[in-house]
This record gives sequence, C-alpha cells and structure tokens, in this order.
Amino acid sequence: MRFSRKTLGIPYAVFLLLFVVAPLLVLFFYAFTNGQGQFTLRNLTDFFTDPNTLGTLFYSFALALTTTALCLILAYPTAYILTTGRFKKNTVLIMIFIMPMWINFSLRITALKEILGLIEGNLAFYPFINSVIGMTYDFLPFMILPIYNTLAKMDGSLIEAAKDLGANDRYAFLRITLPLSVPGVISGISMVLLPAMTNYVVLDMLYNSTYIMGSLIGSYFSAYNWNGGSMIALILLGIICIINILNDDDKGETTRTGGALL
Amino acid sequence: MKSKVIAALILAVSLITADFCPVSAASENEKAITLRICNWEEYIDQGEWDEDEVIDLESGDIIGRNSMIEDFENWYYETYGTRVKVEYSTFGTNEDLYNMLTIGDVYDLVCPSEYMIMKLMADDMVQPLSDEFFDPEVETNYYVKGVSPYIKNIFETHDINGVTWDRCAAGYMWGITGFVYNPEAVSEEDASTWKLLENPAYRRQVTIKDNVRDAYFAAVGALKSDLLTSEEFKNRDDYKEALQAEMNDVSPETVDKAQHYLQQIKDNLYSFETDSGKSDMITGKVVANYQWSGDAVYAMDQAEEDDFCLNFAAPKECTNIYFDGWVMLKKGIAQDPAKQKAAEAFINFISRPDNVIRNMYYIGYSSVISGGDDGRVFEYLDWNYGADDDEDVTEYPVGYFFSGDPEDEDYVLTVPSQQLKRQLAAQYPSADVIRRASIMIYFDQAQSEIINRMWIRVRCFNILSVPVWAWIALLFVIAAGVIFYLRRKAAKESMYT
Repeated sequence: MRFSRKTLGIPYAVFLLLFVVAPLLVLFFYAFTNGQGQFTLRNLTDFFTDPNTLGTLFYSFALALTTTALCLILAYPTAYILTTGRFKKNTVLIMIFIMPMWINFSLRITALKEILGLIEGNLAFYPFINSVIGMTYDFLPFMILPIYNTLAKMDGSLIEAAKDLGANDRYAFLRITLPLSVPGVISGISMVLLPAMTNYVVLDMLYNSTYIMGSLIGSYFSAYNWNGGSMIALILLGIICIINILNDDDKGETTRTGGALL
Repeated sequence: MKSKVIAALILAVSLITADFCPVSAASENEKAITLRICNWEEYIDQGEWDEDEVIDLESGDIIGRNSMIEDFENWYYETYGTRVKVEYSTFGTNEDLYNMLTIGDVYDLVCPSEYMIMKLMADDMVQPLSDEFFDPEVETNYYVKGVSPYIKNIFETHDINGVTWDRCAAGYMWGITGFVYNPEAVSEEDASTWKLLENPAYRRQVTIKDNVRDAYFAAVGALKSDLLTSEEFKNRDDYKEALQAEMNDVSPETVDKAQHYLQQIKDNLYSFETDSGKSDMITGKVVANYQWSGDAVYAMDQAEEDDFCLNFAAPKECTNIYFDGWVMLKKGIAQDPAKQKAAEAFINFISRPDNVIRNMYYIGYSSVISGGDDGRVFEYLDWNYGADDDEDVTEYPVGYFFSGDPEDEDYVLTVPSQQLKRQLAAQYPSADVIRRASIMIYFDQAQSEIINRMWIRVRCFNILSVPVWAWIALLFVIAAGVIFYLRRKAAKESMYT
C-alpha cells in the first residue's frame, strides 16, 4: 500500500467540502432564488435600491474604517517599540499584548462597558464612539501581531547600511522600515476591517441600536427571509474577495521586491 | 490504496459510534418512548432547591428536589408502567424555533407564544389534542380540570382558519407587558403610558424590547393614546373587540406612522435590548424598561435583594396579554398514539397544582392553571403576597382568574398596599388592567413583510441622511487607497524593468 502525501489531505478536504463548499452552494442557491425556489435577481436589486440597506453598508464601512485606523495608529508604534533593541525582554511584553486574547471576548466587552460607563456616565449618548472603542479593544492584537512579525523579521543591516550612507533616523525609517512593513500593515488591515463590518455583538453589548451588516443579515433570517439574508451575506463575501485579491496581489510582489532589494 | 484507507476510516467511525449506542437502555425496556420537548430557556423548574427554600403551604410543603423532567419520567412510569425518556432542548425566540423546525429539527412537543402557535396552526404543523385530554372525569387530566376560566375563555373564543386555539394548544404561562421603573426617578403617572418612550424628561434612560412585535405594539399604543384613553372609546359596548382591532391595525398608514414614531423615539431611548434590560434596571443604568411581566417580577425580586425598589406599571392605553402554550407537532408525533399519550401526560403533569407552583416559584411567570377544585395555587398566592402584619393593606380581588367572576369573594387577597405597584401587579394584573388587555394576533405573510420592512427601516442607517463631510471623507479614503495601490504597483514594475 502506497501512502502518498495526498492522502494526508483527505480529512481536511472532507472538512472543506462539508463545511465550506456545501454551505456556500446553499448560500448561492438561496441568494438567487425567491421563496418558491425560482431564479430571481430581486434580492440583489433590492439591496442596491433600498437606501436603508445601502445606509447599513455605509455605516458598517465607516465603523470598520474608523476602527481600523485607530487600531493602526495604536498598533504600529507598539509593534515598532517591541522590535527595537531596547526591549530585550520583548517576549514578556508580547505576552502582555496577546493576553487579552485569551480572555473571553464577551467578558472583555462587559468589563469595557463598566469602564466606559464610569467615564461617560450614560453610554447611550455616544453609540458610534463606543462601538469603535469596543471593536478596537477587540481587534487590536490582530493588528499588532502581523506588524510585529514583519518588523521582527526585517533585516537590521538594511538600516545600518542606510545610516552608513548618511541617512538620519527619520529618513531611514521612512525609506526603509515603513515600506518594508507594508505587507504586515496590509494583512493587519484585512484582519481588522472585514470582521469589524459584521461583529454586531459589540454593538449590541454597547447599546448601539443601529444595524450593521451582521445584524442586518440576522434580522432577515429572523423574519424567515433566507433569500434576502443570503444575498447580503454574498455581497459581503464579494467585498471581502475584492479586498483579498488586491491584498494577495500586493503581497506576492512585495516578497519578490524584498528579494530584489536584498 | 485510497479505498483501503477510506474503508479503514469507515470501520473506525462505525466502531466509535457503536460504542456510544445506548444498547443497554433499549434492552432494559423495549417500549421506552422518547419524547422530544423544546421549551424556552430557563422556563421550567430545574430542581435542586436549598432546604430552606421550601414553600410551606398549610396543605403541605412543596419543594423542588429533582428537575421537573426527571419527576415526570418517574411519575409516568409509576402511573402508566411505561418508560419515557425526555430529550429536552431549548430555544431563544419564537422565530428561532420556527427556523429550527423549517430546517428539519423534529420535536414532539414545543412551547411557543400565541402568535407562533397560530402560525404553526395555519401551516398545518400541529397535531390536535385528543378528546381524552379534555375529559374532566379522568383523574390525571390536571390541565382541563385546573385551567383558569379566564384563559379557557380566551382559548375557546380565538381561532385560526376556523379552528379554535384550545383544540390544538394547552396554555403554560401567561402575562402582560408594561414598564418596570425606578420610582425614585420616574413618577407613576409617567410610567403608566406608552408615551413614556417619547418623554424628553427621560431622554436616553429608557430601554425597549428589541423585537418588532413588541416595539410595534408600543408604538401603536402611543400613537393611538388619545383614542384609547377617551371615555367614549372605553365605554363602547364592543370595547374588547374594538381595542383588539385597533392594536392589531397593520394598515399602511398606521405602519408608516409607527415607523416614523419609532425612528423618532430611537433617538430618545437608551437602546433596544435583547436581554440586558433586567440587569440594567437593577444596576440603575436605566430608569425604566419595557418588559414582559414575568421578567419584570424577576427584576423586582433581584432589586429587592439589593435593597432597591422597582415598580411595575401597565400602560393606561392598553397592555399586551400573551401566552406560551404547548403544542404537539405532527411531524414528531407521527400518528404514534403512545407518543401522543406521553406528550399529553407531560402537559397534565406540569399542570398539577404542586408542579405549577414549583414552576411559578422558579421562573417568576404566572401559570394559566388556577387549580380548579384544588385550592393550592390560590394558597400559594396568599403565601407569596398575603399581608402578615403590615398596617397598610388592600383587598385585591383575583376572581376573574380563579373562578371567572371578578366579584367572587372567595378569591380576594389581602396584600400590603405597595404590592399593587409591585410583583403582584405584574404577576396577576388587576381586573381593571385585564379589561384593557389586548392580544396581538399573528400577521399573515404579506402583513409580516410590511412590518419587517418597517423594522429594518427603523433600525438601519439611511444613506440619504449621510452628511456631506462623511461622503467627502469616504471619497478621500478610497482615493488614498487607490493611489497607494497604483503607486506601489508602478514602483514594482519599474523595479523589474
């Protein structure tokens, strides 16, 4: 009996088929049919003609963008500090940043709710800001880690070379470190932006009564409108695909560029 | 080669599953019936009470040692000599249950709310109750012997497609909707109207239920406040019917008005809540909460433990009376008389007055069972609410529920006056509140679609209300992204050439 390497892939292939491909097919079927199972594009046109569903897309996007920007602003300096030589015990520091991820998510948001309540008094007055803070709190580690990884793997001699050639710290950072860390930044963005568009539990827990994409899908399902909900899920999937294609494209070339640089 | 691996896998899987098969249970008693029950979460006595939690009625102590399910299994074996195995599961909302059923989950006995019962009946999914179930001569028919005349009347006078509710459904718990409020912050007068939701004095301090039916009912109640509270309307001969028609009005104009109303009050409210309402009341985050009576009782009980006082008020316009009831599903029962017998026996078992009291004590809702000839439910009420040596006491008649006669002098509680605004008022509303209670019927598909569309409009951000600066900011971000992407691409291409 020949045991090829392909055989090892069978369990995952079965998993993929059952839990990814099959549900996707069902999703496609529902999205392009009406309640009676006939083909229709109405679910698609309904989404793009209703100011409320489009508004939800806008709101989710605005929320996700703000969250991502805030995460980036907080994460980049942190990751940078962690990789510079002054912090020799950086494994401990990294642990401190990863530790929140080990604590249950809803527990963390509940704690955050109490803290925000102490600061703001009545949480209901700042639903958007609260949601952004909650999501940032939730997703920050996903932004720090990829940036930290790219910065940590970066060849330090490049900066030394730049300095030998007369660049000051600022110039070396702008021309060497920053461009080389872009892949980490991009993968951080894609790990934060997309979940932030649908993570409605944060909004629910922080008393934001406006729907985002996730809650909109949920509301379609609880109104037994599987078709409309599936279409929205599919549209989200489309957006994710577009962003990922751009991202992958970029990543592949960066590694090559990196090689060329070295 | 591959097929051998797969065969080995299949063998392994079959060995594992064979291990888990309950062979022993089947061989012990081949007739064991499996009863698949699906109920609301936290909606039945789970047993394991502390020793000092005993309900010491004069007619005997009542305490929950085992869970109700376990007690039923034992009781059924003792009474009928057949083993029943209950597979108990729970659901979160009526819509969840319906979705579970349409996906293909099979249950024998479920406990949805009245409108979902109507929907299931309209979809022809419900197995009618047997004639034997309604025979009061049978000793163990606790439901039919004990159900409150008030509830019985409602179940007999409401129908769907010509079939009255009582043929298909047996009630479990019932209640009304109203406001739990903090009397130190909100006056009783303000809390006794649906207009509390729009009251600017409590801006961002009131929560409301996050579901379309409850929100719509509240909105209609507030919009029609003037009409509903007018003496002329209240004194109409057909007041009950007229009230129900007004509250179930889903004409396009009313839906439109309700949408605008809800959009307006959304800004005035703290939030729409799914399950944070009770805890936010207790911690004092909000001063009033639109709540179901059973949960209101729970909130008031919890607050009392913290030496904090909460009250309950039913709006003066009208209140929504709701029921949760047991229905057997055709798909589960599948014409099996043994199974149907077990399902009906379960309904009867939990309708036995001592079990009714256990459930009520445990979950805080009010049972539809008044006990009939068995006085223990009323005794429990007196045990729970009766005045001990308080000075300020009030007579509280609950005859409408126990005997069907509001004036019945056998069913008058003497309670501390404060209970008129507290747990008792929520658990057993006064006859006056009951008079203005309306059922919210189920809406057919077309009506549901209109209501759900309205709800999405209320909850979603309208793209037309996006301010110009936000559009500019978005355009700026997108443009920056595109420029960044193109520049990188160009830079790379130049590197290779």
